[in-house]
Amino acid sequence: MRPLTPRRVAWICAGLGVVLFAAAVISLRMGAYPISVVDIVKTLFSGAVGHWEGIPSEYRSIVFNIRLPRILLGILVGASLSTAGAGFQALLRNPLADPYVLGVSSGAALGAIISLIVAPHTPGAIQLAAFAGAAATTAAVYFLGRRGGQLDSATLLLAGIVAASFLSAIIMFLMTTLSGRDLRGMAFWLMGDLGSTLPTNPLPWFEGLFAVFVLAAGAIYATSSDLNLILTGEQEARHLGVNVHRVKLVVYIAASVLTGLAVSVSGTIGYVGLLVPHVMRMMFGTDYRLLIPTSAIGGAILVVLADTLARSVVSPTELPVGAMTALAGAPVFIYLMRRRVR
Amino acid sequence: MNAATGSGAPATSPAILSPRTPGVRLKVEQASYAYAATDRSAPKFTLGPTSFEANQREMVAILGPNASGKSTLLTLLAGMARPLSGRIEVDGVEVSMLDLRTRAQRIALVQQESELLFPLRVWEYVLQGRYPYGKRLRFESEEDCLLAGNALAQVGADALRDRWMDQLSGGEKQRVILARALAQQPSLLLLDEPTQHLDIGGKVELLRRLRRLADDSRYTVLVVTHELNLAAEFSDRIVLLHKGKCLRVGTPAEVYDRALLEEVFEAPLDVEMRESGRPRVILGGNH
Amino acid sequence: MIPTWRGRFAAALLSALISSAALVVARDRVQSATQTSGPAYGVPRPLPLEVTDEVGRRVKLPREVKRIVTLAPNLTETIYALGLQDRLVADTNFCDTPPAAKWKAHVGDPQNPNLEAIVALQPDLVLATTSINRVETADALKQLGIAVYTTDPQTVRGMLDSVQHMASTIGEENRGAELVGRLQQRLDALRAQLSDRPMVHVLFVVWDQPLITIGQNTFIADALRFAGAESVVLSKQQWPHLSIEEVVRLQPNYLVFTSDHGPVATTLADLRARPVWRDLDAVETGHVVNVSEEAIRPSPGLVDAIEQLAHEVHSEAFAEKRENRNAKFATRVTPMTLGRAGQECNQCAR
Repeated sequence: MRPLTPRRVAWICAGLGVVLFAAAVISLRMGAYPISVVDIVKTLFSGAVGHWEGIPSEYRSIVFNIRLPRILLGILVGASLSTAGAGFQALLRNPLADPYVLGVSSGAALGAIISLIVAPHTPGAIQLAAFAGAAATTAAVYFLGRRGGQLDSATLLLAGIVAASFLSAIIMFLMTTLSGRDLRGMAFWLMGDLGSTLPTNPLPWFEGLFAVFVLAAGAIYATSSDLNLILTGEQEARHLGVNVHRVKLVVYIAASVLTGLAVSVSGTIGYVGLLVPHVMRMMFGTDYRLLIPTSAIGGAILVVLADTLARSVVSPTELPVGAMTALAGAPVFIYLMRRRVR
Repeated sequence: MNAATGSGAPATSPAILSPRTPGVRLKVEQASYAYAATDRSAPKFTLGPTSFEANQREMVAILGPNASGKSTLLTLLAGMARPLSGRIEVDGVEVSMLDLRTRAQRIALVQQESELLFPLRVWEYVLQGRYPYGKRLRFESEEDCLLAGNALAQVGADALRDRWMDQLSGGEKQRVILARALAQQPSLLLLDEPTQHLDIGGKVELLRRLRRLADDSRYTVLVVTHELNLAAEFSDRIVLLHKGKCLRVGTPAEVYDRALLEEVFEAPLDVEMRESGRPRVILGGNH
Repeated sequence: MIPTWRGRFAAALLSALISSAALVVARDRVQSATQTSGPAYGVPRPLPLEVTDEVGRRVKLPREVKRIVTLAPNLTETIYALGLQDRLVADTNFCDTPPAAKWKAHVGDPQNPNLEAIVALQPDLVLATTSINRVETADALKQLGIAVYTTDPQTVRGMLDSVQHMASTIGEENRGAELVGRLQQRLDALRAQLSDRPMVHVLFVVWDQPLITIGQNTFIADALRFAGAESVVLSKQQWPHLSIEEVVRLQPNYLVFTSDHGPVATTLADLRARPVWRDLDAVETGHVVNVSEEAIRPSPGLVDAIEQLAHEVHSEAFAEKRENRNAKFATRVTPMTLGRAGQECNQCAR
């Protein structure tokens, strides 16, 4: 009998953190413009100390304004989506659940398309509108998905699927009747795009996003003992003292916030929320006290690597990140599935 | 505390697992209930005023045909619903007033297990019974492991410790679920039709085990069942329910009256008294 | 391992303090590193000019524009027409007119160009257009401190203005004026020749299955009018879908198909074999014309296409023969022939 200890969680997360760091370093190195690792290190160092002599200015621009933001964004989005995915899989009692199944991404897409129609040149409008769309959909699906005043997994799933299709239909309607230049960006948004425009002062923006991530993911993590019990049966969990109603509400809101966050900054990147929790389960077990942090780091690794591949495989053309996440994640998944003894 | 690593030998002292203070463990006083799905439909789950008591080391069988109110009574006993009238007290405290965690420390309910979504090992499952103790996000301590190990030993499922839950047979799974309930260190152990999917050998073994738990470890055991003879053989008291009403409470000999049983179970029955003082029910009349 | 609890606590506190301090310092540095004010590279240029581009964005220009990157085929074509191709350091994968443009360095496709590649080229000016580039691309380049000028040609007149603006932005107003003047002259001459002719009714077929045509406020509709042709479809949408029955009702005089180095509907014979299509007046009289895709871009070559289209649909108004036409680029407009299916467009010389 070897129960999970905080120390074991810390060690595993540290190990995964090292892998993430390596992925980030690789990603910094890759790009259409060749910069050697030495030069990258020098550029980073110059950034840290503030001396720019000897560093060509395009290095600075490329490293700090193009590559580094993409990597940070990739980490944020990957971690958010996989944590949300793990949460939804427990909430909906369905291993096939992913963060988009409850319609949050369709709501965000609708918000994005409306902002493209109404205010195409306003910076930050598309992100805000997307998040607003996600929030509205979360609320609507919540009210539709209740049964007897409480969140019921099956009803929630149905409500989410209905919402997703309804919103997608509206989006398609808008895209065909209002076809024109303004909506070209939508196609990229729907495929997932980590190259979103940053505000003039990106650091506080990133800090804000990471703060939201930490809050929401932390809320889910706080319920991980509860989720372990709920997964053996809601009634059983209730009899063991779990406040099932409150746990489900917290997980629902937090996971939707994470999904809305990810989708509003980078569009809909698929497969991350579905694959990563499963892969982590196969590697480290189903205990949510370990699954949540490993999913977060694992998702970050997947998206950073997929984005690196997406922008270097057929350079200078960039492939959509969503295609890469599927291509990168699926073989690992298949390999692990076949390796399982049981 | 002995230096056991949590594997192998059961606790030498039952005191580690024995639940709380002696005295009347469970007191049900005129508890009744009615639940209607909507305002206009007729109440679906009803229970007329019911009273009985149970002490530690006692096993009570709640007996009755289907739709007699057994599940409703169990729901009330588990504290999942507030009785419409009357009181239900465990260790002197009204059950529906307790907060969730405290209630889980006092009362353990054993039901048919829902389907597990993801694979889980037996010891992980049993360790979950320690949830009511400690903070919400908790990591199990050595004591938790010790208690879980003891629970497994008490149900004779020690050897199953490292097996996967979905690889167990029906009887084995039943024992593991029981072990998780015991790991809660409850005063009151409730079981909802535990013998349903077992063969006769399994049924007898389970009830024997429950009897031992009541006798040796001082649990109060309440079993909801419709097995007439097993209830008569093993329980100290019977609560007979019929169509939402509590018809009789007493020892098996007192409750098993032929006319009464025939009316309740709507079948020709005969009651024999054996030397042990416990009745036996057999099919009677022409069939 | 530190044995006492107090020791462990002290160690934890100390490391927390140190890492917080390091984090604060690093944060400040990174913040200043990522803030961009002005061009991202090189020595600051003297006295930059500021103009407003055609979408209202303010663009800071260097005095000398020596290195240009274009993000759309029509812009590349314009640069060549202005004779400024030596300053063009890169264009997109799709830029193929004139053929020499294909040999320039590429930065990707117009919808999603590679930002790193653009930055690495250190351009003085990047040209974009609303008809094919994304707003996000221009915004991103601006954030990186690169001057981006976006054109927004909605009409033929607007296209000429864009050419002029582009030339001015590059610092070659005279070339621009000269080119625009010549083009305007040709258009005026054409109008004079067509002044007494009624407008020919055409259906402009963007795609045949499903049938998609152009709206009345589009650039192409405006170009058609200069050629003395009017689209039979009046729609406020940009790319309205149409049913073939509607076309039968409208009975256009001419069908104009766009082609992509090859006809969309293969040949006139194929059209005559198709039900409903074959009953159209235009198909029966052979009044079907192919226009190559490049011809309908908002670029100087458009004027060639307009002229050639006018000669096709108003052939009575023009005395000279087709062969004597002096096209600057390869012929853009060809009548659809009866020829074999899959025959390569022999007028699209590449």
